[in-house]
Amino acid sequence: MNPEGSLSSTGSLLAVAVGCAAAAIWLLLPRGESGARERAARRFGMLLGAVSLSLFVATGHRLGGIGEEMVFLVVSLVAVVAGAATVVTRSPVYSAIWFALALAGVAGVLLVLGAQFLGVATIIVYAGAILVMFLFVLMLAQPTGMASYDRVSNEPLLSAVAGAVLLGLLTLFIGRLSAGPAACCDPPSKAAAVAGSPAAPVAPEPTPAVDPLAADHVARLGGELFGRHLLAVEAAGVLLLVALVGAIAIVSRTPPAERLDLAAQRLGS
Amino acid sequence: MTPSALVLNGLVVGGMLFAIGLVGILARRNLIVMFLSAELMLQGVSVSLVSWSRHHGDWGGHVLVIFVLTVAACEAAVALVFVLQAFARTGRLDAAAWQSLRESNLPRSIDRELPASDAEALTFPHLTPAGIEPEADEDALLEREHV
Repeated sequence: MNPEGSLSSTGSLLAVAVGCAAAAIWLLLPRGESGARERAARRFGMLLGAVSLSLFVATGHRLGGIGEEMVFLVVSLVAVVAGAATVVTRSPVYSAIWFALALAGVAGVLLVLGAQFLGVATIIVYAGAILVMFLFVLMLAQPTGMASYDRVSNEPLLSAVAGAVLLGLLTLFIGRLSAGPAACCDPPSKAAAVAGSPAAPVAPEPTPAVDPLAADHVARLGGELFGRHLLAVEAAGVLLLVALVGAIAIVSRTPPAERLDLAAQRLGS
Repeated sequence: MTPSALVLNGLVVGGMLFAIGLVGILARRNLIVMFLSAELMLQGVSVSLVSWSRHHGDWGGHVLVIFVLTVAACEAAVALVFVLQAFARTGRLDAAAWQSLRESNLPRSIDRELPASDAEALTFPHLTPAGIEPEADEDALLEREHV
């Protein structure tokens, strides 16, 4: 097997996939069209998106077991497809609902990656609290019917190209990672740095500290959080308080002149 | 040490989510959809952080994602307050309604051809108004054994 040849063919497949993804997003974004043209563009965009996703799946790395692979495939497809639908849907309410589905997919990906607490926290905090807040504001602020600015985009072609360039660079970099680092760029391992002798040959750590199947996963995460990162936790608490007070202060602000009038009325009565 | 296949796939998924969110925040004009796209970018970063955390066998990525969640909650609260205030002033959730804040040397963006409203394409479910008796079909009533 020729690794050089397989690498370059994978690279060209990925380039085709990224190009298809950009074209699909461009076709699916609202561009102020309507009627049969829009429907045809959306259908073609969905087809291109499916082609792009299947190419990404084909170039993906094979996991160990078929079960793990299928689970990862399903949750990541849900996350990416629902994320794309969030961006291209005309109605902002449907957009928020698609975002909830994308969150479910992301939570699944986190679970497969061994972050149990984060997967559950994503569902509770994002889908349970933040998304509901978004929906509240949408219901408060959405004018009747579909607004005209939901059916047009700022520079859809340039945006899609920018996204494609970023995605292409990222996949290129990740592909190089999988090819293995050159000897010059091998990062010094942690144990070697601790021992103070970077030249000493150190075997790679056989047992990583993050064991996804450990019974005390959350307990260890909590120990890390309230041990090494205690100050950051305190700062995050202060940040939450400041955001709460700031939000209330902004939303309940009345102009100073009116406030004086109100105070005068209260004093007079 | 070459990352495992799962880590690499996780990185690709994170990158895709980030790129999709970037396209959304650049292209869409609805303020709320722009914020949803920003949250999507945060999700992509979270997936990448957890992947690297798994690769290095370190808790740092997990802890960072917890702080990302915290900051996202704060950001959503403050940003939605700003959106509400902007809506109260202009009556629209349009980012282009605030283009008077642009740099003085930039041209004004004008919507050349806004699409006509295709209200007939939207089909909403129709609910029977409460308190009003629905019209009964006389023939159907007669056909029943018990009314």
